[in-house]
Amino acid sequence: MSDPPVANRRTSHSPPLQRELEGAQRAILSRPSIPIRHRLIFSLLLCFILCGLFGLVALTRIRQVRGQLDLLEALEMLYSRSLRVQLLERQEGSSVEALRDARARVEEAEALLAADAGQRRSPREAEAYSKLLSRLADYRSLLGRLESAVDVQERGREMAAAQALEAEIAFRGRDLVHRERSSVARLLRSSEMLFGTMLAVLLGFFLLITFFFTRALMDPMRRFQAYTRRIAQGDFSLIRPARAYRDEFSELALAVNQMLAEFQTNQEKLIQAGKLTAMGTITSGIAHELNNPLNNVAITTEALMEDFKALSDEEKWRLLQDIYFETERAGEIVKSLLDFTRDERPDLVPVDILEVIEATRRIAQNEMVLNDVRFELRAPPGLPLVRGAANQLRQVFLNLFLNAVQAMPGGGPLTVEVMAEKGLGRLCVEVRDEGIGIPPEHMPHAFDPFFTTKEPGKGTGLGLSICYSIIQKHGGTIEVTSERGKGTTFHVCLPLANGEKTGAEGPRLDRGPAEA
Amino acid sequence: MAEKSVLVLDDEPIVGDRLKPVLEREGFEVEIFTESERALERLKERSFHVLVTDMKMKGPSGMDLLRFIKEKAPSTQVIVITGYATIETSHEAQALGAFQFIAKPFKMKELAKLVSKAARGG
Ligand SMILES: Nc1ncnc2c1ncn2[C@@H]1O[C@H](COP(=O)(O)OP(=O)(O)OP(=O)(O)O)[C@@H](O)[C@H]1O
Ligand SMILES: [Mg+2]
Repeated sequence: MSDPPVANRRTSHSPPLQRELEGAQRAILSRPSIPIRHRLIFSLLLCFILCGLFGLVALTRIRQVRGQLDLLEALEMLYSRSLRVQLLERQEGSSVEALRDARARVEEAEALLAADAGQRRSPREAEAYSKLLSRLADYRSLLGRLESAVDVQERGREMAAAQALEAEIAFRGRDLVHRERSSVARLLRSSEMLFGTMLAVLLGFFLLITFFFTRALMDPMRRFQAYTRRIAQGDFSLIRPARAYRDEFSELALAVNQMLAEFQTNQEKLIQAGKLTAMGTITSGIAHELNNPLNNVAITTEALMEDFKALSDEEKWRLLQDIYFETERAGEIVKSLLDFTRDERPDLVPVDILEVIEATRRIAQNEMVLNDVRFELRAPPGLPLVRGAANQLRQVFLNLFLNAVQAMPGGGPLTVEVMAEKGLGRLCVEVRDEGIGIPPEHMPHAFDPFFTTKEPGKGTGLGLSICYSIIQKHGGTIEVTSERGKGTTFHVCLPLANGEKTGAEGPRLDRGPAEA
Repeated sequence: MAEKSVLVLDDEPIVGDRLKPVLEREGFEVEIFTESERALERLKERSFHVLVTDMKMKGPSGMDLLRFIKEKAPSTQVIVITGYATIETSHEAQALGAFQFIAKPFKMKELAKLVSKAARGG
């Protein structure tokens, strides 16, 4: 076990993890980018254009109506003015100025009508206008002649003609006023409709924008909330793309993945550290256990050497036998220690759970004996293999056994029961003690890293959190039930090596009944 | 001079087996125990000049015996054998008045010498 070069250390994820991280990051980045910023700008621009367009439409409408109103006014003026000219004419000796004035007004009205005449009118309307215009022209020239007429007789004739024309103009004018009025009313009514629809369209557009933006913001927010919950529970699997495109949240996902990769490496280190801690706990036991056969060999050899001549052959044989068996015993202890710490690859392969439990029992044997803990294994024959990494599973059971021993200071039974749940494609192990139990208020924290009720220096509080992450990596579950003063049971379930999962869901974890 | 008495307690039967003839040759009266419960009972019955005890055992530990003997028969000298000595346990044993510490694996000659020394001192 040599340390990696220092320069590598910070970034040295284990290669599969590095590959997995790269894969996830690539998947996130490979989607087309549609940043929220761009979508926001686009939507606001669209909104602005729509509002501008509607404003333009409204403006032209208003101008139209104003034009109509001007025309109407002109027509009305014309109508009332011709009456005035009639009145004027009736008075004898009407002044030339008054006539000129009247003519100027007629010209004004003519110009207005002429300007309006060309505007989108039906042929019938256009005809009515042109007729009115020609009458007006006639009237104007008549007024001119009236102005210059000096002779009374001539004047009387012209006056009569003017009056006839005036009557006709008034009639036509009234007709047109009527027509224009109803056209203005129509225009106003249709404008009302137009503005109503524009408002509705704008409102709909706003609703659409609001909907899309809340979705674009809230959905990822909710998703990330779920991620943090999952991470808090110790599930450090990387984030995969959830949508077909990427945006600002994808940047966040990249950063979170980077963090998760770091977490995973740290967790591996933590597991390694936890293994050493657990080994530390049993080192004294192991040393003690190893020293016993060594001491036996040493003193027996000493006895042999001291009294070699005095001893009978039979006695020598007995002593040699002692040496032989004690050496073998020491060898067994060393072997079980090596078995336990053997650094296998952490691949998940078919594993015999009973072998794992037995190896763990052997290593913790001394600790149990010294604390008057009786170990009992209940297992039916013909158990299926589970999918796991034996050395990590040994670590799990060592932690559970040590916790059980520590929970029973006065000794007691430690029962391990193994049962296959073939229907669920898993195998479950119950580790049961009759110790102090876990109080309900501690239950939600039992698996938290650094949660310990043991005195400083005695417990790191890492044991169960490491069990949890190891079992989780195996796609299994670990739960705890406990009754204060009566005892505690840990339920560990692992997927079978060849078992098909019956549930549709993937690996799921429960942290015991205390967590909702 | 009356024989000095020694009680040897170790849950390894071989230890008592080997020590008994050696200590007897040194002129001690030797009683061997492999269970601390039994040894404790015996200690309640009579006193010994020297107690040689293992530290970690099933049932009462060497430390428990040391505590008991220092209360009941303070004149008894105690030699503690350990398979794994930590600083704390050695300090604790010293504080409780243990005569000497000896770590496994030990030499029987050394232990015999220690017992003689303890018997003289006691
Ligand atoms: N079998 C049990 N009976 C009663 N309490 C338990 C049991 N197992 C765990 N606990 C409680 O859960 C806490 C956390 O256990 P965990 O194994 O994580 O840490 P620890 O045992 O305190 O420290 P370490 O494992 O590093 O020695 C313990 O301190 C203890 O309060
Ligand atoms: Mg623990």
